[in-house]
Amino acid sequence: MPVDKFANMEEKLWILEDLNMMYIRQIALSLQDSDIQKKIDHEIRMRDGACKLLAACSQRDQALEAAKSLQTCSTRIMAYMSELQRMKEAQVMQRAARRSSDAGPMDDRLPCKGKVAISDLRIPLMWKDTEYFKNKGELHRCAVFCLLQLGGEIFDTDMVMVDRTLTDICFDNTIVFNEASPGFELRVELYSCCSEDDYSAGSTPRKLASKLSSSLGRSAGKKLRAAMEPGACSPVSNGGAAPLLLPVPSVPGPKYHLLAHTTLSLPHVQDSFRTHDLTISGNEECSYWLPLYGSVCCRLAAQPHCMTQQMMSGYMKVKQLGGDPQSWTKVYAVLKGTNLFCYHRQEDVECNVEPAFTIAINKETRIRASEKDPQSKAQSICISNQYGGEDVTHTVTTDCREDTHRWMEAFWQQFYDMSQWKQCCDDLMKIELPSPRKPAPVTPKQGSLYHEMVIETSDDLSSTVSDILARRMQELELRSQLGTSPTWTSLFEEEAHQSPGHPRLCTSRLPGHSPHSPHCLARSPMSPRRCPQLGLLSSDASLTSDSDSYCSSSPCSHHHWAEPPSNFSLLSSSSSSPSRLRPRTLSLDAKLSTLRGRRYGGGGINQCSCQPPPSSLLTPLPAASCSPRSPRSTQTILSCSSSTSSTSSSNSEGSHSPESSEGAPFSRPSPARRSLRNLRARLDPRNWLQSQV
Amino acid sequence: MYFVPGQPVTAVVQRIEIHKLRQGEHLILGFSIGGGIDQDPGQNPFSEDKTDKGIYVTRVTPGGPAEVADLRMGDKIMQVNGWDMTMVTHDQARKRLTKKNEKVVRLLVTRKSLEEAVKHSMTTYPKQ
Repeated sequence: MPVDKFANMEEKLWILEDLNMMYIRQIALSLQDSDIQKKIDHEIRMRDGACKLLAACSQRDQALEAAKSLQTCSTRIMAYMSELQRMKEAQVMQRAARRSSDAGPMDDRLPCKGKVAISDLRIPLMWKDTEYFKNKGELHRCAVFCLLQLGGEIFDTDMVMVDRTLTDICFDNTIVFNEASPGFELRVELYSCCSEDDYSAGSTPRKLASKLSSSLGRSAGKKLRAAMEPGACSPVSNGGAAPLLLPVPSVPGPKYHLLAHTTLSLPHVQDSFRTHDLTISGNEECSYWLPLYGSVCCRLAAQPHCMTQQMMSGYMKVKQLGGDPQSWTKVYAVLKGTNLFCYHRQEDVECNVEPAFTIAINKETRIRASEKDPQSKAQSICISNQYGGEDVTHTVTTDCREDTHRWMEAFWQQFYDMSQWKQCCDDLMKIELPSPRKPAPVTPKQGSLYHEMVIETSDDLSSTVSDILARRMQELELRSQLGTSPTWTSLFEEEAHQSPGHPRLCTSRLPGHSPHSPHCLARSPMSPRRCPQLGLLSSDASLTSDSDSYCSSSPCSHHHWAEPPSNFSLLSSSSSSPSRLRPRTLSLDAKLSTLRGRRYGGGGINQCSCQPPPSSLLTPLPAASCSPRSPRSTQTILSCSSSTSSTSSSNSEGSHSPESSEGAPFSRPSPARRSLRNLRARLDPRNWLQSQV
Repeated sequence: MYFVPGQPVTAVVQRIEIHKLRQGEHLILGFSIGGGIDQDPGQNPFSEDKTDKGIYVTRVTPGGPAEVADLRMGDKIMQVNGWDMTMVTHDQARKRLTKKNEKVVRLLVTRKSLEEAVKHSMTTYPKQ
């Protein structure tokens, strides 16, 4: 019975594990290194916790996260154990060497360590076009994360869900390794796990599962059957090294598989983004397969300690060669990076005062010990640099011979470090420490790329105050129709309220327009005063076209400009001829004027007759909003209208910028509508958009 | 700096690193961009080749982080933090520059004066 065999195997594995643990403990004890032991214990506890969590959780996302931590813990344990073994071996070798012969003074100079940071990992994908058009079955999704290993430190990135809507896998984490030697090897491994539902082994009853697998499409069914097999539950391959040493306990749940890996080292370090090749393991048949392009982009920076820390400091006397033999300057010198900073006093270093002078210590510097100065007993050091073609030499001496010797040692060490770290010592590379952030919220499943297109009102900082004011005015107008209006608008509206007789005047304007002359409703007599304030509001009515003809906007507007006087005459005559009731047009301006009229008078108009179907207004809008005649490039839809309006005649009706005028004038345009209009403005090819960043 | 569609582009670029400035709850860079593959390239006042649909710097706020980093008006942005900007829509470009979790943007920009400088340094002057 397969189930029994399984249980037996598990028991055996657990026993083996216990034995291994004892062996490890022994090694650790013999090495007298309790540090690694503690780390291993910690990781084992974490791993047990992860296993329990995995067994207990029901949500797919939780299971994936738990499996990820399980994978990380296992890898860490493997790393610590191999380090332990290596240390043990080294100890044994050392003892053997000591026994054999006196090894002699260890003359090897060790290069300084440094910080290595990898950030902005990006792995491009190469989806086939068939993937996009395949509608059968569910979206093929995988959960991926990266495991980064340098020396004994192992870090994992956050998990990312990948499906065909993504073109690259991006990991935002910055990972910093603190103690890296110049010969470091940073191993980057990409693990992935198939994340389709119903594939968690053991959760679906077998009968149902077999039915499903036979009824699903061929490839989906294959994957399902593969997942259901007990083979899928076998322990994750641990890289081949000592497979019996602490095997991973098999836990039902999602398993991560190694999809690709690469190793980065010192030649790959650079202060900018670079692309490296990935070695891909696995093929298309695997459930965890993702079509990788084959490379990984990242920024690998290194900060050797010799560049960031003070390598040597102390008092010394400096003299420039060729100067007065008595002009020794006593300074407190600090060797850091590619410079020897000389301060007047030691306290200056802490106070961040600028050094008195700086001597460069870089690849081109030559340092040698000079012969004994006849005047003093101690040896001195000569530091020669080339500053712009000229040779400048500083002579440095200290009080006693040991100090000089120590300084020479420090310089030699610095040169050695620079030769080992190569390009990292040319300039200090910046490493941004990851700031502690709140964990990013899990994004919901998105159906397509189009879900990512957020249409928001552009936050253009350059819109003028009057534009903002204009927008506010429009909102208020609409609100005032409902009876409420904030007090500050009374500043603008006091004239309106003073003349109750006007409403009739204004409203009767409406019928005075022929359907073909677009509009400029002349203002009521109070308008000249308002003109300067609302000059920017007056989107040229020539821009607003008749709703019934999209194409007629341009000819109409020309027409309009030629006709200003007629509008005034209309106004004057309209009061006397209320009978000039033409059939209501569906013109935009008609509505605008109605809006104005209503604001002045506050109601009393037949709403229904003035309300054109909103759809018809939407179409002319793009033509209206972006006049190609405007020579200046437009910033937003509002400023577009403002720029054109400023060139328009001032007697144009203070009609609103198209933004709020269309659609439902008698109700507040919803933000969605407004953003829709913005979108149309943005999508209109005649605009050349500019965005402020 | 003209390009042939379908052929790789080579350009002399300058690296510019801009540190974003916090203004209220926004992180701003202090310049404006124009262009994009969804925009009309004929209206670009800065491009030499009027079929170039790349992203250009149209305005640099004086005293802003971009000006400090020596970004100039008329620069064409080729890359932002490793992301290509020669074949993107306007909105994609804006988004790549305004990521909330990035405090630094590293741009590769090209400008006509760079090309000229290289050309000058490569031509040999007649000895006198």
